[in-house]
Amino acid sequence: MEIVLQALANGIVSGSLLAVPALGFSAIFAVLRYPNFAIGSLATVGAYAAWSANTAFGAPVLVAIGAGAAVAGLTGIALEAVALDRLGRGGPLMKAIGSLAAAMILENVVRFGFGNDLHAFDLPLARDVMVGPVRVGPQQLAGLAVALAVMAAVWAFLSLTSLGRSMRAVADNPDLARLKGVSPRLVSLVTVFVGAALCGIGGTLVGLDASLDPLVGGRILLSVFAAAVVGGLDSIPGAVAGAFLIGIAEEFTVLALAPAYRLAVSFAVIFLVLSFRPAGILGRAAR
Amino acid sequence: MLLDATGLVGGYASAEHIVKGVTLRADAGELVTVIGPNGAGKSTALKLVSGLLRPAEGQVRIAGEDLAGRSPQALARAGLGFVPQERNVFASLSVAENLEMGCLFEPRDAKARAAEAFRRFPILAEKRRALAGSLSGGQRQILAVAMALMGRPKALLLDEPTAGLSPAAAHELFAYIRGIAQDGLAILMVEQNALEALDRSDRAYVLVDGRNHLDGTASAVAGDPDIRRLFLGGRQSKPAHSKGEP
Repeated sequence: MEIVLQALANGIVSGSLLAVPALGFSAIFAVLRYPNFAIGSLATVGAYAAWSANTAFGAPVLVAIGAGAAVAGLTGIALEAVALDRLGRGGPLMKAIGSLAAAMILENVVRFGFGNDLHAFDLPLARDVMVGPVRVGPQQLAGLAVALAVMAAVWAFLSLTSLGRSMRAVADNPDLARLKGVSPRLVSLVTVFVGAALCGIGGTLVGLDASLDPLVGGRILLSVFAAAVVGGLDSIPGAVAGAFLIGIAEEFTVLALAPAYRLAVSFAVIFLVLSFRPAGILGRAAR
Repeated sequence: MLLDATGLVGGYASAEHIVKGVTLRADAGELVTVIGPNGAGKSTALKLVSGLLRPAEGQVRIAGEDLAGRSPQALARAGLGFVPQERNVFASLSVAENLEMGCLFEPRDAKARAAEAFRRFPILAEKRRALAGSLSGGQRQILAVAMALMGRPKALLLDEPTAGLSPAAAHELFAYIRGIAQDGLAILMVEQNALEALDRSDRAYVLVDGRNHLDGTASAVAGDPDIRRLFLGGRQSKPAHSKGEP
């Protein structure tokens, strides 16, 4: 029983870390209608920016997370403006392929700049916390708290601000949004910035939980993609639900199988969920 | 003339022009109906006026300002509201959020305008937290019109506002539309329910094959024997409702 509770706790923590970049992936898909596979590399860029702010400039962790979000967001906008936007003329498939190419380039730019060595944030050592029979690391708790705060902030942005409502309106009905005076260009750029910044935060949280290397974002890419697909590709709440489902499923896998099988279980969950709900847990039917 | 679309030619990209020369006008306080057979280019003409489609030729003037070829955002800001026939609400947003989207570019007194919409359309007040996608067809059309009015437009384009509604709901919506026109809006309405639309309207246009076929006062158009035979099923238009009293 203790093992099960421990796996559940680990799953909730890793689900919360997946949920942040999954929100970014789903937001970009909902508004710009293409799957951006550069999100893993944008997570890496954000994580290295945060690590640099923390270790080279002594920035506290929260400030470092903010710096990582800003650098990842701006990198996402640059990528969209320089390359992906032009590829959009060839349709969503061309943009998706372009984003894969961009992911490889970004990952290797990071490798060129920082090398292949593992890096760690400058954090004070602290003991694990026991919650009943469950052991949780202080970084895991902090990561969970930051992830939940980010999710709440995203919800508030989308629900309470006119820019957030405009994003949801464009995702829902782009032609009607134009008729209501929404600028699709502005909303697209804001969405890319927010989506990429969320990936940067996600990469930083993963780096804080363990360590950094140029594949830190690439390793979570498939799990993030699985979370977004399971939740419903264009559904923001679905991305969160999918992330927790995938996170918990992966942790339970480790109870019975070697960790190498985690991803296989993620994709088995995709098959299972999409068999019964083709649009995902909270997604709308394909338009 | 508040809304003056002259000599419009255009259609969808890579296709033959559907609209081959259409002129549509509506003055402040005037309800003008556009009728015609299927494929006459009525809805396409409204899309050309609204900016959703770029006209190949022609002018679109709102209060004298030529806005042809400008974006839908520019036309909305200039005072043009458009209620498309389908997908005319944001289904995943609440009723209240839909209304807020209606005055996005002038949000200062959004709450007062929403309160006004709730007074005018009590059903929307009851459903203010409901998702627009959960509303009935009639309620959606009312929301779509209310959302267009949130931007306080000078002119309003309505594309088949009563499509899919029950006769009672259509009757109620026509009454609302007539009331809105009396508030001083110029309304151009494409409608399949020609008999009641003409009964409620001041003037009418008949389009055939992408061109103006006939225009005049609504009663004159409704009384034209050819029009009655072609579009009104041979029925006599009866002035059941006073245009001044919705």
